[in-house]
Amino acid sequence: MRPSVEEQLLGTCRILETVVAPAVAEPFARTILDNLIANLRMVTEALPAVPGFLRWDNAATQDLLHKLRGAVPPELAGRIDAAVSAPEPDGDDSAAQTVRNGVLRALFAEAACTADLAAELHRAIQDHMIARASRVPMRYVPTAPSPAPTPTLRP
Amino acid sequence: MASDAPETDTTARQVADGLAQLVRHAIPSARDIAFTGLTRSAGGLSRENWSFDASWTDVQGPHAHRLMLMRDASGTLLKTERRREFDVLKALEGSAVAAPAVFWMDPDGQFLGAPSLVMERVAGSCDYMVLNGARPLEERLELAHAFLQLLVDIQAADWQARGLGPSLGVPEGSPAEIALDEWEAEYHRVQIEPHPELDYVLAWMRRTAPLAQAIVLVHGDFKPGNALIEGTRITAKLDWETAHLGDPLEDLGWITNPVRRREHQIPGHWKRAQIVEAYTRLTGRAVDDAALAWWNVFSCWKLSVIQLTAVNEFVSGRYNRVFQTPSWLFRPMLQMMERAA
Repeated sequence: MRPSVEEQLLGTCRILETVVAPAVAEPFARTILDNLIANLRMVTEALPAVPGFLRWDNAATQDLLHKLRGAVPPELAGRIDAAVSAPEPDGDDSAAQTVRNGVLRALFAEAACTADLAAELHRAIQDHMIARASRVPMRYVPTAPSPAPTPTLRP
Repeated sequence: MASDAPETDTTARQVADGLAQLVRHAIPSARDIAFTGLTRSAGGLSRENWSFDASWTDVQGPHAHRLMLMRDASGTLLKTERRREFDVLKALEGSAVAAPAVFWMDPDGQFLGAPSLVMERVAGSCDYMVLNGARPLEERLELAHAFLQLLVDIQAADWQARGLGPSLGVPEGSPAEIALDEWEAEYHRVQIEPHPELDYVLAWMRRTAPLAQAIVLVHGDFKPGNALIEGTRITAKLDWETAHLGDPLEDLGWITNPVRRREHQIPGHWKRAQIVEAYTRLTGRAVDDAALAWWNVFSCWKLSVIQLTAVNEFVSGRYNRVFQTPSWLFRPMLQMMERAA
């Protein structure tokens, strides 16, 4: 299937950079355009990694919820049981994986804030959070503002 | 009213018309109102910045000023009140704090379509990375000291004598707790998916919030990117929309925040230890390391919420820049919490 999704996205970036951007003189609009192009390039690189990331995160969060289950209030433990026993979505269905990710992370948010957790549970929580942060495929791409057209100097 | 804004630039025309109405409202006797050089600058994530020269004649005679309009963008990183910024700038006039004189305010967007402020356009240029830019080390160090002196001057401003208590609100209780209340409400307002990391850090901050040694004027976003510089002199501190009364360590925590070190520190010369030592020398105020670490974590957490605001505004179709969940801030926050423990 050519052009592939990646080829189309990269081609769009190239055209925006070489054809459209040079014609945008207004500094604010140019800054916005530069940010959009930089983000589009980031998305193009990140996109193939998203399904794998979601599968990994769902499995890791589920494991962590198992560990936390015995330390949380019974009502929350019941909801954890219900969520982790639900059928897992197709690994290739990113939309379904995203929905499951939201459910598991909402439970994790509650469980992680339970009072008086043991030190080893805090360690496990923090290890997972750091590991996840290092694997997230989407990243903010900072871009510098285009220079203003005139200096702001007092006479 | 005259303006040299291009006829085709509808937004510039609307701004010029709104400015004329604002001037007429503020100065009923104003006539021959003219604006020249109305230009929108690229900077400003939360607001539109328009520079222009204004002239008019009123009962006192002719006037000519170089001015800057700051108008809330349709989508914004921060929901703030123009009145707060107006009050702070008015109160600081004649003080040791380098800040622009403020002229007029359109708090509800009655004239300009969105809440706006008009202030003096002060000499100087803005450089986010001036402390680590191309200037010689000596100049950068001089500027670093000047920025800290400015922070100290802000904290030394007599907010009671200058009447800022009623407009900013005097904290009743721990400023750290009050800051958490405010930013937690903002977090829940903008959150569009679960963020266990931010909930976990918030729970830690709730358990460990420090008490304040004093109540001072806090800028709330103190950084080189919010200042104008001419040579090695800071000519104006800008962007006072998040100013409030609070803990002296809040702004100090913002500038010693490890994730912003490229903006605020100079490797090998002006690092956390040197900043704290100089701050203590200038203010006579001892700095509790655990309390400062708490404000460092809070700075990252607040920055995370600001980014989530941008994400929310983007997906709602109101903001034209793309931000992501601030996962890059999670590890530093967790590491600081671990060290503090």
